[in-house]
Amino acid sequence: MQNFWYVFIAYCTIWTALCMYMIRLSQKNKELQTELRDLRIQLERILTK
Amino acid sequence: MQKWWTIMLFVMAFPFIYLCMNRVFHATVMCITMNVAIMLVFIYAPTEKVQGIVQKIFYFHVSSAITMFFAFFLVCVASIMYLWKNSDWWDAIALSAAEIGVVFCTLVLITGPLWARPIWGTWWSWDPTLTLTLVLWLIYVAYLMLRIEIYDPNRARFAAILGIIGFVDVPLIRWSVEKWRTLHPKPVLIQEGGTTGLTSAMLLTFLVCLGAFLLLFFYLLRERISIAQSRHALEVLRHEIDEIL
Repeated sequence: MQNFWYVFIAYCTIWTALCMYMIRLSQKNKELQTELRDLRIQLERILTK
Repeated sequence: MQKWWTIMLFVMAFPFIYLCMNRVFHATVMCITMNVAIMLVFIYAPTEKVQGIVQKIFYFHVSSAITMFFAFFLVCVASIMYLWKNSDWWDAIALSAAEIGVVFCTLVLITGPLWARPIWGTWWSWDPTLTLTLVLWLIYVAYLMLRIEIYDPNRARFAAILGIIGFVDVPLIRWSVEKWRTLHPKPVLIQEGGTTGLTSAMLLTFLVCLGAFLLLFFYLLRERISIAQSRHALEVLRHEIDEIL
């Protein structure tokens, strides 16, 4: 069990990096969807005027 | 059937799984497979006699490496298709796969030294396999730097050429593992003659880990392509609004 910490750090790094990347992608996706929705509403308003 | 072909068929099945699943189902299957993989690594797979517990890094280190190779293969194919068809769809796939490939390559470059330190007694050695992997990482980081923020067709074409040339490094890495006498161990998963050096319990654990990583790769690819498509839709909408005003 003397090398347990190497395994622990390796697995923690993998999961932290992957979770951070997944969260970043999901946040970016949400931001873009909101921006798209706002722009579509803006376009509709312009067309109805 | 030889084990080598079984593993190849296993990897090639994933694009079809990706096409057949919706996002929620995909995420659920991925989470379940990841949990099963972790349980197999720490509970089911036997501890290797020589290296001890540190050998358990193998399951996720090699899975990350194979996923990285698959990602860069996809960059190469999508870049060729982009240069041939000049379609934004292929460019979005190439860019998305390159970004995810760099993430997995970074994981390989972090977990490798963590495995090497207790076994080799050093964090890093400038041997061909490790150096070529670092070069691969630098090539695709350069690819991503070319594609930062603004969309420019010239940059996209140049990046596509870099994506294709960069893939040449992948078979070189594989070749260096097999043929060069280096600190990096010879392939255990698929040895000469198409057999495997793993016990059946280790092989099963590894295949579940690989499956989990490939499912994760396709999930991330789906998300990243969705971002690229949204950006494209935003540009089109902004252009329409500018024309009206």
